[in-house]
Amino acid sequence: MFYLQLRNELWKLFGKKRTYIGFGAFLVVQVLISLLFKLTKASRPMQRLLEGNGYLPEDYISALTIATVMLIPIAGLLLPLYVALIGGDLVAKEAEDGTLRMILARPISRVRLLTTKWLAGVVFSFCLVAALAVFGLVFARLTFPWGGMFVWMPEHGIFSVFNASAGLAHYLAANLMLTSEAVSLMGLAFMFSCFNIKPAAATILALSISFVDYIMFHIPFFSDYQAWFLTYHLQVWQWMFQEDFNWARIMESMSMLAGFNLTFLFVGCTVFQVRDIKS
Amino acid sequence: MIQLTHVVKKFGQRLAVNELSLTVPRGEIFGLLGHNGAGKSTAIGMMLGQVWPSGGEVTVCGHDVASHRARALAKVGAIFETPAFYDYLSGWRNLEILTHYSAPTSKARIKEVVDWVGLSGREHGRVKTYSHGMRARLALAQALLPQPELLILDEPGEGLDPEGIHEMRQTILRLHRELNLTILLSSHLLSEVEQTCKRIAVLHQGRKVFEGSVAEVKSARGQVLLRTNDQAAAVKLLRERGLITNASATGITPTDGKSTGEIARVLFDAGFSVDGIWQQEQTLEDFYLNLVKNPPPLPGKN
Repeated sequence: MFYLQLRNELWKLFGKKRTYIGFGAFLVVQVLISLLFKLTKASRPMQRLLEGNGYLPEDYISALTIATVMLIPIAGLLLPLYVALIGGDLVAKEAEDGTLRMILARPISRVRLLTTKWLAGVVFSFCLVAALAVFGLVFARLTFPWGGMFVWMPEHGIFSVFNASAGLAHYLAANLMLTSEAVSLMGLAFMFSCFNIKPAAATILALSISFVDYIMFHIPFFSDYQAWFLTYHLQVWQWMFQEDFNWARIMESMSMLAGFNLTFLFVGCTVFQVRDIKS
Repeated sequence: MIQLTHVVKKFGQRLAVNELSLTVPRGEIFGLLGHNGAGKSTAIGMMLGQVWPSGGEVTVCGHDVASHRARALAKVGAIFETPAFYDYLSGWRNLEILTHYSAPTSKARIKEVVDWVGLSGREHGRVKTYSHGMRARLALAQALLPQPELLILDEPGEGLDPEGIHEMRQTILRLHRELNLTILLSSHLLSEVEQTCKRIAVLHQGRKVFEGSVAEVKSARGQVLLRTNDQAAAVKLLRERGLITNASATGITPTDGKSTGEIARVLFDAGFSVDGIWQQEQTLEDFYLNLVKNPPPLPGKN
């Protein structure tokens, strides 16, 4: 029964054209980044950095490196926007369209309904990140050779070079962790979606909060409290590019994100439980 | 089948439903009448556990909706005005989605219901290509899938053309006859309620102002139409004799216990030429309009 209900939620989610239009935007960005590095001098600073550290650029400016570069605008801008749109729609759009009233004429509990919808959002987030990881690599491979991977993230003090197989492992690990960002932002928008507001309002609220959170955690005054900010932990995927995983940092962020997500779900369920559903 | 006991619902300071007590017995077609905003949809929302009452108790199929909603709604189907579907999916998929919120349902059962409502051949088309009538049939199909004992219809005729309304009325009667369903029909289409329901309740400004049978309403005495050679003098005489309580240009309202025969005799004896006198049957519309214009006072108020 639960499986059937989850499958139905996925049908609803994947049956919408809008789902694929948004996905198309990601692919366009991936192709553009790939072409930008191939056809312009965008890779020149990278080459200089590698040469300055005694590495041959032709060994490390590869499909894996470009696919990793693609992750930065996607994780920082497009992914939050897209998953917040999906999360904001999950409940509020059904309430707006009137289908929520049809569902709640059935003997399903509100908590179960929300849990099913949230899980559908989680499955969607996993699928999205997985698809982006694969397409990113494919597009990068079409324009760049296979080879080692180079990652430089100065704000985390990461300067890593990997051979191809280790690079692939780190790339996949980073994408796996990126799902935690997708799930958390989807969950935040989902929480607002449970309130009596329009879907767009739920999305905007979620994005606004994550934006304010991001700004605050970069203000020096709050540097001692960084670990309490959501966006600080959403960057956990970047830590997967360290040559040796900092497991303490990774587990800290994963625990905090689990706590944030449970809180979002709990608040959403509580608000939804006491709400009156009217046409 | 449905029992509301002193149910109250407030939205902020606004009292949407005021001390509503209502009983819908098993096997009956029960009409819920009222203007827009009278509290019908809120009352139905409380029956379906979509709106939480501020006070009182709502019982459906013998179970309290607030505490045992799943059990209360296990054998309930509902249709709302302008039924909403996932337009980008097929009718069949919509049925699958909605019925699985109640219980796992076999394809054979879905096919059976699709045939019953007359959607065969179009069930795999996208809902956005359906006409209004087809959407109404799909709404009926989703309500029938869990094999309900109680069907709640909230303004089902809204937006339908006369042919659609006729079809809906026939369907309601067929559902009652063939499937022996208890039906609660909320509507402001008085003629539909009059032709389909056995009993009615009238809501006005959130409170019940009448509950009784349609036969009772129709048998209640309406105006007596009177035609005489001197209408004004005839009315004056009848008033003086205490035979009528009210009079208009075309009719009179006899005092309780006074028949048309007695009135006619008095007029003949007084030398009036009586061209016609007959008791007019009260329609539900007359009754309803009179009731909402002059609602009974609140209990305990002067």
